[in-house]
Amino acid sequence: MARRQWTSGEADRAEFREERRSLFRITVAPTIWALHFAASYAVAGLTCARLADDGPDVVLMRLVIGAGTLVALGLIVWLGWRSWQQWDASDEGRRLDDQPTSRDRHRFLGHAAFLLSIVSFIGVIYTVLPVLLIGSCL
Amino acid sequence: MGKSRGLRTFAMILGPGVLLSACDGPQSALSATGADAIAMEGLFWVMLIGATLIWILINGLIYYVTRVYTGSLSPRLAHGLIVGGGIIFPLVVVTSLLVYGLSAMPEQRAMGDGVKLRITGEQWWWRVEYWPEGADPANPPVAVSANEIRLPAGSRAEIELTAAKVIHSFWIPALGGKLDMFPGRVTRMSLKPLSVGVYRGQCAEFCGQSHALMALNAVVMEPGDFDAWLKAEAQDAAPPKGYAATRGAEIFAQQGCGACHAVRGTPARGGVGPDLTHLGGRTSLAAGILPMDREALMKWILSPASLKPGARMPGYDHLEREDLSALATYLEGLK
Repeated sequence: MARRQWTSGEADRAEFREERRSLFRITVAPTIWALHFAASYAVAGLTCARLADDGPDVVLMRLVIGAGTLVALGLIVWLGWRSWQQWDASDEGRRLDDQPTSRDRHRFLGHAAFLLSIVSFIGVIYTVLPVLLIGSCL
Repeated sequence: MGKSRGLRTFAMILGPGVLLSACDGPQSALSATGADAIAMEGLFWVMLIGATLIWILINGLIYYVTRVYTGSLSPRLAHGLIVGGGIIFPLVVVTSLLVYGLSAMPEQRAMGDGVKLRITGEQWWWRVEYWPEGADPANPPVAVSANEIRLPAGSRAEIELTAAKVIHSFWIPALGGKLDMFPGRVTRMSLKPLSVGVYRGQCAEFCGQSHALMALNAVVMEPGDFDAWLKAEAQDAAPPKGYAATRGAEIFAQQGCGACHAVRGTPARGGVGPDLTHLGGRTSLAAGILPMDREALMKWILSPASLKPGARMPGYDHLEREDLSALATYLEGLK
């Protein structure tokens, strides 16, 4: 009830809508990582189980996974950039977002999304290292 | 008090020393002689030394901040320590180890370019089949043996692994990593031994009552010696020489040993137990648990299950001692 004193119902709803989007956005980078992980293992598993051991299929598989990796990394970098901006939405510089205000909540979600983007970026790199370094189904 | 403290110090020094002695010998990943085992030994030492250094560093830091410098640290330094030591350092270490480990893997899984072997895990022995370099494994093997593998030094042997009834695992620590053997499925590995010698392997997956008694010797030979050996191994058994061996061959036939065992070149064609065509030429008996001599053979034939609990071969304790001795002489002569 106290909030009604300093913000209107309309603004409240707009803020809630924005935070709901932010909350959804922090899950996107880890989701891309998870999808990239599942897709890479599925493509490698299917290629190695069903097709030739070391033939052109393996080269194609590496190219497909490589392309998927570039797309995943690109999306994660973009999300990271968006959340970096959200974290630093004010001109006070980055700091701990620990106040119970809508601005701090907004920045906190950006902060969390930014850190999760970094973890997801590293996760995608780790997932793809075997394809890069091993290069055969054996 | 002084004496017991001295004893304790002595035990603390001696204890690990005694344990370290197990790091040597024919069955040790730390006396690696195969290319793959050498790579893994390198990985082990890098990890051990790295982990020790990190352990010393962390404990040193704990000691420093609790005993040496107990004043407060600047938030800037603390923050730097957390980000540098807690995030960046582990990231660099884990990434380096991942790249190092992964880049060592293709060589470990490389296709063999020399002799081909198929090894089947049985309860509790190993069926071993050989194809020479260039042969098609779709054809029957040129030689069938058991409980011992022979490999030429310097080339990479291709090894197919499978199992008869339960899961086993094939592991010769001095030559390479271990790999499980599954009934109804073929797994493959390759080994590149580099030094001539006899190494010991052991079933490394619990496979029943006598799992611990399922070992084998891996004899690494000079390539020329290996070729000669494989040629001889592919031959039929030599006819028995001398009275005792001839009598032993008769007993072998009378007792129906050939129902389970094969001796190529004789009517014995059984495939249930190990092929005995060149039994006497092997370096051990009963899957690495006994020496290959007449006494051990007699002991084994008399009562296999007392040496290897659960073994399905019946004991031949009804045989006269002379007959048992003749049978052992015949088997020992199957070089």
